[in-house]
Amino acid sequence: MPIREDVLVVGGGIAGAASAISAARTGASVRLVTHKKSTLRHASGLIDVLGFLPGSDDPIVYPYSALSDLPDEHPYSVVGENAVREGLDLFDDIAGDAYRGGHTGKNALVATHGGTVKPTARYPKGAAEGLASTNRDTLLVGFRSLPDFDASVACEHLAAAGAPFAVDGVQVDFPGDFRADAKVTRYAKALDRNETVSAFGKERPAREALAEAVRPHLDGAERVGFPALLGDAHADEVRSDLSSELGAAVYEIPMGPPSLPGLRLEDLLFDALDEAGVRISSGNPVVDYTPVEGEHRVKSVTVDRNNQRVPLHADEFVLATGGLVGKGITSDRESVSEPVFDLYVPHPEDRYDWWDQQAFGDHAFAAFGVVPDEELRPTDADGEVEFDNLRAAGGVVGGADFAAEKSGSGVSLATGYLAGRTAGEAI
Amino acid sequence: MSDSAEVLVIGGGSTGTGIARDLAMRGLDVTLVEKGNLTHGTTGRMHGLLHSGGRYAVSDQASATECIEENRVLRDIAAHCVEMTGGLFVQRPEDDDEYFQEKLEGCRECGIPAEVLSGEEAREMEPYLAKDVKRAIRVPDGAIDPFRLCVANAASAEEHGARIETHAEVIDVLVEDGEVVGLEVKHDSGPGKREHHTPGETEKLYADYVVNASGAWAGQIGDMAGVDVAVRPSKGVMTIMNTRQVDTVVNRCRPKGDADIIVPHETAAILGTTDEEVEDPDEYPEEQWEVDMMIDTLSELVPILQEARTIRSFWGVRPLYEPPGTGTTDPTDITRDFFLLDHEDRDDLPGMTSIVGGKFTTYRMMAEKISDHVCEKFGITAECRTADEPLPGSDDFSILRDYMDEFGLRSPIGRRSVQRLGSRADEVLKTGEPNPVICECEAVTRAEFADAVEGSGSDLNAARIRTRASMGNCQGGFCAHRMANELAPKYEAEVVRTALDELYQERWKGQRHALWGDQLSQAMLNYALHATTMNRDRDPARTGASVDFSAFDGGPTEPGEAGADASAAATDGGSLREDESRQEGR
Amino acid sequence: MSDAESPGDFGTGPTTDYDDDFEPVEVFPEGDLDLRPGADNCYKCTACDTSCPVAEVDDEFPGPKFQGPEQWRLKRKEDVEIDDSIMSCSNCMRCDDACPSSVPLSQMHNEARGEYVENQMDKLSTEYVRNRILANYGTLARVGSKVPRLTNFVMGNSLVQQVNEKLLGITAERDFPEFAQETFREWWRDRGGNKVTSEEKRIAYFHGDYSNYNTPEVAKAMVRVYEAFGYEIAVPEQRCSGTPMFANGMLDDARRGAKVNVRNFAELIEEGYDVIATCTSCSMALRQEYPELFDIDGVEDVSANTYEAMEYLRIHEDLDAAIEDAEVDMGPLAYHAPCHARNQGLDRQAVELFRNLDGVEVEDVGDSCSGISGTYGWKEEKYGKSMEIGEEMFEHMDHAKGEVGMTECPTCSMQMEHGSGYPIKHPMEVLAEAVA
Repeated sequence: MPIREDVLVVGGGIAGAASAISAARTGASVRLVTHKKSTLRHASGLIDVLGFLPGSDDPIVYPYSALSDLPDEHPYSVVGENAVREGLDLFDDIAGDAYRGGHTGKNALVATHGGTVKPTARYPKGAAEGLASTNRDTLLVGFRSLPDFDASVACEHLAAAGAPFAVDGVQVDFPGDFRADAKVTRYAKALDRNETVSAFGKERPAREALAEAVRPHLDGAERVGFPALLGDAHADEVRSDLSSELGAAVYEIPMGPPSLPGLRLEDLLFDALDEAGVRISSGNPVVDYTPVEGEHRVKSVTVDRNNQRVPLHADEFVLATGGLVGKGITSDRESVSEPVFDLYVPHPEDRYDWWDQQAFGDHAFAAFGVVPDEELRPTDADGEVEFDNLRAAGGVVGGADFAAEKSGSGVSLATGYLAGRTAGEAI
Repeated sequence: MSDSAEVLVIGGGSTGTGIARDLAMRGLDVTLVEKGNLTHGTTGRMHGLLHSGGRYAVSDQASATECIEENRVLRDIAAHCVEMTGGLFVQRPEDDDEYFQEKLEGCRECGIPAEVLSGEEAREMEPYLAKDVKRAIRVPDGAIDPFRLCVANAASAEEHGARIETHAEVIDVLVEDGEVVGLEVKHDSGPGKREHHTPGETEKLYADYVVNASGAWAGQIGDMAGVDVAVRPSKGVMTIMNTRQVDTVVNRCRPKGDADIIVPHETAAILGTTDEEVEDPDEYPEEQWEVDMMIDTLSELVPILQEARTIRSFWGVRPLYEPPGTGTTDPTDITRDFFLLDHEDRDDLPGMTSIVGGKFTTYRMMAEKISDHVCEKFGITAECRTADEPLPGSDDFSILRDYMDEFGLRSPIGRRSVQRLGSRADEVLKTGEPNPVICECEAVTRAEFADAVEGSGSDLNAARIRTRASMGNCQGGFCAHRMANELAPKYEAEVVRTALDELYQERWKGQRHALWGDQLSQAMLNYALHATTMNRDRDPARTGASVDFSAFDGGPTEPGEAGADASAAATDGGSLREDESRQEGR
Repeated sequence: MSDAESPGDFGTGPTTDYDDDFEPVEVFPEGDLDLRPGADNCYKCTACDTSCPVAEVDDEFPGPKFQGPEQWRLKRKEDVEIDDSIMSCSNCMRCDDACPSSVPLSQMHNEARGEYVENQMDKLSTEYVRNRILANYGTLARVGSKVPRLTNFVMGNSLVQQVNEKLLGITAERDFPEFAQETFREWWRDRGGNKVTSEEKRIAYFHGDYSNYNTPEVAKAMVRVYEAFGYEIAVPEQRCSGTPMFANGMLDDARRGAKVNVRNFAELIEEGYDVIATCTSCSMALRQEYPELFDIDGVEDVSANTYEAMEYLRIHEDLDAAIEDAEVDMGPLAYHAPCHARNQGLDRQAVELFRNLDGVEVEDVGDSCSGISGTYGWKEEKYGKSMEIGEEMFEHMDHAKGEVGMTECPTCSMQMEHGSGYPIKHPMEVLAEAVA
């Protein structure tokens, strides 16, 4: 008895979740298949829509109105402004109170752990107090055992970027007897549970002790920014406790891997998938497919379960397996390819043309991906649709350098939303 | 002449630092100038093989004999730079039996311990060797870290009173009255350690004697002095694998050819190499086919290389030299011997000697000979002591392994630190401060990194070669910014930023030659982390873009309440959303 | 690693085509795999670390990335020393499930742990003896179950528990699982074996020690369900799957059992049987750890043909239709997905299936680890950590509607019961109510 659904989504990141939820909202039965943990936990947890136009250094204030300046092959140009707006609406609906930024069409400027600022469209509630676009005096706190973020470097850097507020930075020891190589998840857990730690000569709860470590450096700051490790399941509570202890607003500075805001976003998306009634199969990769004989349609995809191949059937399919990092796009010395359906991925023949000489140059590899038609169905080298019932969403779609543009989550939401909706409506 | 003759040495590679150490130990007043970091030239771009001499046992027995002698010396005086891996000359079924025999006999003639292993025995030692290898000769090849070796030589020279000026490029050789009297150098920053954003200056250095040990660049120095030093630079590619597929140096046992050696080096394995003459030691093509050839050809010996991950490739330029009139066409046939060119005898220009040719393994002996030559000029009789006196960090360090617990480090981290620091581990690692790992791939902790910064100023690439931080599989993606942060608070943020950019670009440069498969995934992840998450690429502090902060979203509610309750705004985004399309000037 | 050959295999004849020889690992002596190439896949993203329940609470444990790809990459041939923190890994294998780049993390941990125990652990130490006893629970159970009442009485005696803790380092906080009055195998034998015969539908049951000695009701429920669907069931001779031995680095003990299991089940597979298990750690061991760690004839066949009991039915039967009109009297159940179920992609199946079954309401109590991880939570020095890890699950259970728990894993079930006081069901028991 084969496992069968109306719509089958491959991939468990933002694009996969958005596809599955928007397909489910059309009334279709939906299964989402995901292999390993998504790359969400590598990312900051911010929802960038469009921060910079290609080749420009000027941060964009109004991302929607900048869309029309993008080249034709850009995924945003393919799906159109409405899909971008609706994708973001979908996100706002899913995220509810957990994210901010939906009240306006403007970007916000958020301080990064690299010490600079970047434009983003939605930010976690925990980062809201830290917007660099508001001018309140700020204290940044770094931890000596966390070499990723140095508050003194970051505060000087912020000033150099022109931040319109006084900012100071201090490095403190995280209170308690943590090892120098403790993980951010360890600190988060300690704050979550408000563990008793030994600091300043006595035993006390971790949140209180942390506030105590920071208090002498406050010097009138109206807000205090910490690297994003302020709790996990009880993050709101941790921030609020610290805030009342310190008498200043408290916020988190998003970090790279491991990213707690990314983990929290992942939880939020999976809760929304559950709520939407999406069935989820995880842990095993989709490795192949079977076509409908004589038609340009996919009949089933094949899951590899310890060398055993299990087919999953559906009427419509969405491919949201990610880009080079998520392994939705792979490469070897000769070529770049899409491993499940062997879809067409345009790329320069010579691999020495895949990159630029400068680390932050205009890299061809950053835009590697499949070429979609207006319904997001991948096309072949001649521009013909490969399968009538296969759509692509998120990082697997090429044509944009999301890292340079700061557009990754927005592209995933817009393409995911549209691919899911059109797949659901095609049933 | 007094015995405190002043000598200038050009070149911070193995030969230059070796000479500086030797002369300084003999009591001379030495200044070494180097245009980049230590090892900036050929020394920093080699496969790190400590020759047993086996490689030259057929073609050049004199070199082979020198190699085995120096091999033994270096194991003694530079123990913390050397890993005695042993080496194999491996014969495949299609390789010539006769040559195998010649190699074996050659080794024995040169005093190189050599032992024949069957294919099975060789595979027992190195399980990844191809199943059909026929047999092998086992020789005492080893791996040596050229960076650490040069740093140790320079440190020892400094201990003996020498001045070491890196980032000091020679812009002129000062000749007065037909005699070399000194050099004019341009400092990258000020004299001393390199410091970013410190204005550079030129300096005239006068000395009694100049030694040109600039290797492939010796011709350029010669030109400045008006003499002809016909170095024939020859490039060779080396490809770095992410892990050690072999723990023994694996050589292909055939007369000559490209891509015939794999050297296990620290955490990685290095594939080498090619031999192709180039015009300019600074400008030459780095090509795809060279990398492909390393992988494809060496896969014949170790098949898993075909699928394994490479993390970067680099090219080095050998300073080959042959006396005028020899006329060898194939650079592989040019002798690896070294030549001491006394410009007084040769060009009637007193005051300077150039040293060219030669190879890394015998650097100390070359240094000894040229130091003898210099001392003779000044009638100095002090004996060379470099073969007996251990380099800093190298004395008696094996016992320290027992004390790793004291440093609070995980055992593999402690083990790697001690392997790198040798007998200095104790003084470097015992800080009493939190000592987190800065570079996880190579297990470099804050204490070790701080020690390196102490020695090299704000130059993160110089700190990198001392510690190996950022030289593992992420190629700096996860640690470059951490390394930069370690410069604070000693250096200000702008210095930190520039140093980071410089390091990150240097890491990118070599990684470009490995961009497919896993390393391309890694590159995209690194790019996403540094560009998207940190926005380093479009950082206003870097681009100079002036940002109108007030034009951006300032949060849904009044300051101080953003975290409190904005759900009303968030759930009804549509109606509250500003109609930005009417706005101008985005 | 699955194609590993035994050490004597090289030189069995000249091969000229080296292109055929790209097996990742071979010719290392058994149990001494070189996993450095596995480190090639790691791009340092730390997804493994963020999913490690032990690293969240234990300051001694550096996390799976360090214990896995990093330690392997830093290893040179002569470096035999393994960082002792490997013994703090609970072998929940969530890191495997997390890694987007397919680094063989748990395999690296298993190998390292095996090496550590072999080379660095004092074989006379209490820790070793205790671990050996815990890992070989089946041996203890075989003896104890002969006189279940007496054993239950003795093991339940608090004095004995104190002695266990003092002498052996087995926590006195936990009550030993009770032995059933009649083992599953006794029951099976007494009923005369299988009641259904079929040429097409045949399964061989891997019951493991726990379903046999402690919870035969789970095994019996499985029998009722499968017979209702018309399956012929075989119950071959078997040993412990090895899960507790992997977790304690007792690879030799595990290998001995694996040889018996692979031989007996591979034979049946040839006769058209598929293997099913009701314990997700057992199915995991047969599927993943056996081929990763052992080179035994037939190990690949067993791996490819092993399923968890409900998973198998979902693939081969129309379970949704079968329960459509059924109704059970179960009420709300607080379900915990074991880590090892998660790793096989089975963490959602019970929730999804029972969504459409009347009379039961399954509530997932979150995706955290239960904390017991087999033998981990039994160790006196780990007990506290184990309960800290489980805290989130206990909290969710407390908030859940029902006061009955459900899970597939016997040790998770102990932990759930221990932390909440709820009785715990296995999904097979619910399914049996519905269809049999």
